[in-house]
Amino acid sequence: MVVLAASVLSKSGKVLVSRQFVDMTRIRIEGLLAAFPKLVGTGKQHTYVETENVRYVYQPIEALYLLLVTNKQSNILEDLETLRLLSKLVPEYCYTLDEEGICKNAFELIFAFDEVICLGHKENVTVAQVKQYCEMESHEEKLHKLVLQSKINETKDIMKRKASEIDKSKIDKNKGDKGGFMSMGSGRIETSFTDMSISSSGSGFGSGSGLGVTTDVDSFSTKSKGRQPSSATAPPKGLGMQLGKSQKTNQFLESLKAEGELIVEDVQPRAGQSRVVATAPTDPITLTAEEKLNVTLKRDGGISNFDVQGTLSLQILNPEDAHIQVQVETGGNPGILFKTHPNMSKELFANENILGLKDPNRPFPTGPAGDVAGVGLLKWRMQSADESMVPLTINCWPSVSGNETYVSIEYEASAMFDLRNVVISVPLPALREAPNVNQIDGEWRYDSRNSVLEWSIVLIDNSNRSGSMEFVVPPADSSVFFPISVRFSATSLYSDLKVANIIPLKGGGAPPKFSQRANLITENYEVV
Amino acid sequence: MEKSCTLLIHFDKGTPAIANEIKEALEGNDVPAKVDAMKKAIMLLLNGETLPQLFITIVRYVLPSEDHTVQKLLLLYLEIIEKTDTKGRVLPEMILICQNLRNNLQHPNEYIRGVTLRFLCRLNETEIIEPLIPSVLQNLEHRHPFIRRNAILAVMSIYKLPQGEQLLVDAPEMIEKVLSTEQDASAKRNAFLMLFTCAQDRAINYLLTHVDRVSEWGELLQMVVLDLIRKVCRTNRSEKGKYIKIIISLLNAPSTAVIYECASTLVSLSSAPTAIRAAANTYCQLLLSQSDNNVKLIVLDRLNEIKSSHRDIMVDLIMDVLRALSSPNLDIQRKTLDIVLELITPRNINEVVLMLKKEVVKTQSGELEKNGEYRQMLIQAIHSCAIKFPEVASTVVHLLMDFLGDNNVPSAIDVVVFVREIIETNPKLRVSIITRLLDTFYQIRAARVCSCALWIVGEYCLSLSEVESGIATIKHCLGELPFYSVSEEGEGTDASKKTPQANSITVSSRRPAILADGTYATQSAASETAFSAPKVVQGSLASGNLRSLLLTGDFFLGAVVACTLTKLVLRLQEVQPSKVEANKATTQALLIIVSMLQLGQSPVLPHPIDNDSYDRIVLCIRLLCNTGDDIRKIWLQSCRQSFVKMLSEKQLQETEELKAKAQVSHAQPDDLIDFYHLKSRKGMSQLELEDEVQDDLKRATGEFVNDTDDANKLNRILQLTGFSDPVYAEAYVTVHHYDIVLDITVINRTKETLQNLCLELATMGDLKLVERPQNYTLAPESSKQIKANIKVSSTETGVIFGNIVYETSNVLERTVVVLNDIHIDIMDYISPAVCTDAAFRTMWAEFEWENKVAVNTVIQDEKVFLEHIIMSTNMKCLTPVSALDDECGFLAANLYAKSVFGEDALVNLSIEKQADGKLSGYIRIRSKTQGIALSLGDKITLKQKGSG
Repeated sequence: MVVLAASVLSKSGKVLVSRQFVDMTRIRIEGLLAAFPKLVGTGKQHTYVETENVRYVYQPIEALYLLLVTNKQSNILEDLETLRLLSKLVPEYCYTLDEEGICKNAFELIFAFDEVICLGHKENVTVAQVKQYCEMESHEEKLHKLVLQSKINETKDIMKRKASEIDKSKIDKNKGDKGGFMSMGSGRIETSFTDMSISSSGSGFGSGSGLGVTTDVDSFSTKSKGRQPSSATAPPKGLGMQLGKSQKTNQFLESLKAEGELIVEDVQPRAGQSRVVATAPTDPITLTAEEKLNVTLKRDGGISNFDVQGTLSLQILNPEDAHIQVQVETGGNPGILFKTHPNMSKELFANENILGLKDPNRPFPTGPAGDVAGVGLLKWRMQSADESMVPLTINCWPSVSGNETYVSIEYEASAMFDLRNVVISVPLPALREAPNVNQIDGEWRYDSRNSVLEWSIVLIDNSNRSGSMEFVVPPADSSVFFPISVRFSATSLYSDLKVANIIPLKGGGAPPKFSQRANLITENYEVV
Repeated sequence: MEKSCTLLIHFDKGTPAIANEIKEALEGNDVPAKVDAMKKAIMLLLNGETLPQLFITIVRYVLPSEDHTVQKLLLLYLEIIEKTDTKGRVLPEMILICQNLRNNLQHPNEYIRGVTLRFLCRLNETEIIEPLIPSVLQNLEHRHPFIRRNAILAVMSIYKLPQGEQLLVDAPEMIEKVLSTEQDASAKRNAFLMLFTCAQDRAINYLLTHVDRVSEWGELLQMVVLDLIRKVCRTNRSEKGKYIKIIISLLNAPSTAVIYECASTLVSLSSAPTAIRAAANTYCQLLLSQSDNNVKLIVLDRLNEIKSSHRDIMVDLIMDVLRALSSPNLDIQRKTLDIVLELITPRNINEVVLMLKKEVVKTQSGELEKNGEYRQMLIQAIHSCAIKFPEVASTVVHLLMDFLGDNNVPSAIDVVVFVREIIETNPKLRVSIITRLLDTFYQIRAARVCSCALWIVGEYCLSLSEVESGIATIKHCLGELPFYSVSEEGEGTDASKKTPQANSITVSSRRPAILADGTYATQSAASETAFSAPKVVQGSLASGNLRSLLLTGDFFLGAVVACTLTKLVLRLQEVQPSKVEANKATTQALLIIVSMLQLGQSPVLPHPIDNDSYDRIVLCIRLLCNTGDDIRKIWLQSCRQSFVKMLSEKQLQETEELKAKAQVSHAQPDDLIDFYHLKSRKGMSQLELEDEVQDDLKRATGEFVNDTDDANKLNRILQLTGFSDPVYAEAYVTVHHYDIVLDITVINRTKETLQNLCLELATMGDLKLVERPQNYTLAPESSKQIKANIKVSSTETGVIFGNIVYETSNVLERTVVVLNDIHIDIMDYISPAVCTDAAFRTMWAEFEWENKVAVNTVIQDEKVFLEHIIMSTNMKCLTPVSALDDECGFLAANLYAKSVFGEDALVNLSIEKQADGKLSGYIRIRSKTQGIALSLGDKITLKQKGSG
């Protein structure tokens, strides 16, 4: 089902335009097109020619032939459809349907052909759509240009204001002592402006420096992009035509079976092929407590943000086990605030630390093994400014010596946790080759595309609560190496939340088996 | 692999653009001028210029342009420029375009993004693509379907590159995710296509999870699903069961394209009768419901394929297929009849013949222009039915005999030939046919039909009454004797005596006509009388068809009449008890014959009787006057016997052809047997696993090359220069259909480095060099392989000649080594073909170019000579072997061949053995174009000397 080429030939056999959609050599396509006029018979009432290897489907348009070259297995009905569409497009782009007209608009024709056939496959388009695609009128682009223009204007205003302020303060400072700091500030704003003007006169945005204005534009455009994810999940329509239900098909299948064809009635996809989950829970009840860390540390020490968010989720495999309550133990950490799901009985939790539904007759929702999320029961949050709560601190010291910058980094982990799979990513200036690592505890990897040096330590426990590395790069500003981001996981929690027991509400039998997991992961852990 | 070509545009050499002008326009700010310049640059590139200096200009001045057309043209430009050096490494400057491409991929205009993504699909250089990958992936989630559609395709093409799997490790996963949320039909199709080509397991998985909804999917997606099913089943037959249900559900799809695809998938997957029947039924429905002739013809082709593999199923559908006859298109009708004729069984013959009869009757009523031809086709179809199943002949023969007097001569001839055959093979029908024939004889208009009908009358009138009525019919058709009365003759001769004067009067009264060359035209009086005289005779005596035909001067028919009469009289003498009656008939016949002779020699006709007919008529007279048993036997029995022999030979030939056809499909005894299930698929190369569809595609793109004999290959090596030349060159010539590839090995035999070595080729004949030659530098004693493509556009002997030009380091002047000529042999382009005698004759009459070669050979035997010519010209002998069987010292044969360009080559060979044992005669070659006639003639002249 492949269109090899779409071409326009004159009746005398001259190739005017030809667009190929699969790889083929020039000699081959020229040969095929040269053979065509000889193969076209006169007085035939059909418009296709087959040779040993290819099929030509054509349509005469005044003094021209519009021609599709396809392989012989190609679906003629589809090809005719394509040809029909192309034949409507040709007059749209060529005002006179003769050699001259085609040659004059050859490129426009090629662009239009491209919209109709993609890699040899027909696209589902109409003439109007093709015209629209070729015109390339984009609302978003106009909007973008408007925004860009207004930003530029705004920045100019700000710049003017700032400049006058600075001038003012300069005059003020000059009256008193010398203000080197301020003069530096003014210089910075000027550069930002020149940067801006360059990028606006150039090809557009996105390649500018990382200064204020451009980031603003970026954030705007991402917002507008993300406004409406049109590729939202389709609501599953379960009520489609059911296979194998109608009498006729059944008869057909039966007779096929009788003739020795093997028919598999219920086709189930082989599971597990594309599943992302590694381990599906096998216990009937699983409770997962997870805490996510959002930490921002300052590069010269101190915390600017420390935030832990935790969830406890419940997953039940079989509906029979769904009538239960969960008895939990909290670590008694006073900084932690717990919040239950609206459907849970608040009093029960406040008084007895038991998680149960308000309506004891309702079961918990159940889900299959593949469903990762489970049902959230409990959420908690902890914020702190206490430096001792931070599980891992990073110290980064870039120092310039001669023609090189030496960067030494050390980490220090608190004794609270054993950290696994620690990865510390240090941004580097754009480099030609990997940096020179002089000394390291653990392993390193250089990601050239993002120019990031990744320092990974598989496990931090009591044996290596602190460690360091040192690497050399060409001279660079120390700010380049920040923000450093860190990823790790641990199996103990800040909240020390534990599930003590599962209380079955119905049947009164032995408590069902359950498993619990605890997981601490980093969501956003940065040194800025 | 040679570079692929993505677009062709006609280039008018009349207005060559100059690189400098283009450069200037590109540097300017005028957008239309820029667009124009870009177009010109692309045209120049397509025409073989390399324009290396333009690249930097374009990077500097065109890349930043915001105009959309300029950007699109830029992409076309990037598509066709050389992006790698001779060793296949990406040129360093190409990195300059990456930034621009990335900007385009993040462009706010969705169409710019889309076309850029589409451009990436055609890009093969990993080094350029790699930095763009993150941007491509971003576009997968863009809200505009146009972008997503193209982004998916871009991902697919990147993944398919040699290192694609490293570039985009998780592409299949990503696309699978996209597919699950995608709503746009095209994007969905593309995503599924990507999974299908790159991660088949995932595609299958997706298909099976959504098996219930397949019938609701878009048409495009359904097509890919069918493709997938075909492919999966081909590599893994055991899985077939899972998919048949899907196909069956799709058979009810609203789109005819999908239905068609379903049917062909079904045929390729299963050989179970139900499946095949379902497919055939579907095809039949399409055949009736589609009005497009192309579709009908191709569907008929598919049905034909089914017929050859599952004849029993098609037999049941014969009436459905026959309904396609309602189309007014002759090609469709012909194809339909061809299929139907092979499906006839004793059970359905009656139905079919009934239908055909109805169609024949229909052609009488409707006045369509093609009716005559169609009727002829139907008659031929009925004819072959009647031969296969003689019992139906009785039901049709009378109907067909109504058409003996048809204005359409070919169909009348077909009818009479049919009658001739039936009367011999069906003795029961003889009496009724003869009666009918004698009744309708007067209606026959055409001379050829008449003569054939006369032959039938002469041969098959057996009883007394038949013979008598036969003679009576002929007499009646000849009308009153004599053909012209004596008085008329007297008048005629008088007129011819008088007319010179009369004419001279008229001529003199008229002013002399002046011809184009300035001479006075004088008209001969004789010719005028010749024109006027028969008119008078005809006008007065236009009764009876035979008479009017004779009076137009058809003496061949006259001879046939004479023979028939002779035969009838001879038979009458056997069956007529009364001698008197017989003698009376004899004298009457003699009278008729003699008056025909008289007519032949009279001046009333423009041409006197020809010698052959005269001899034959005279022979008849002699025979009637002097009968003997030997002669009687020859006339009354041998004729019939030779006709019977001809019929049986025809049948024998047909059965032999059938046998040969049956044999072809069998495997050779030493063929490998492929046990599919025992084959391990792990170690197998991709090539072996490749399925038919891909083969088909490869063949279509010309990628597929059959391995040829190595020995054969060596035969085609041509030495181009001498061994002692500073540069030795030899070429290996491969002839493809439309092109010739020269693989030239060039070896530097000197101790110096040869610089700017260039192979310059030129051609004579209908050959065209495709690419410009490149310059090479050749180290001392090293060698180089150079490939040259030459396009061929017609069958003709072509010559390629050329030089090798080079410079050495110390001498500034260029040295030239002239190469041997390479002759392209016409034999590579023609192949034996078959056509009917009638077609051969019409072509022989039509074609303008004739080349007549006198036979000059040492071969003594006619047949050996014929075989020698057949061998050396690669043609097919159309004259049947039986006609060449006996020794008689004469031989005439027709040879036919077709070139790959569809040109016909006709050869007629007429030779006679001389008394001294030498062969003499002529070989005539006719063709539509001069090239074939000339080069084939040269070939024959060269080869006819023979082995001796």
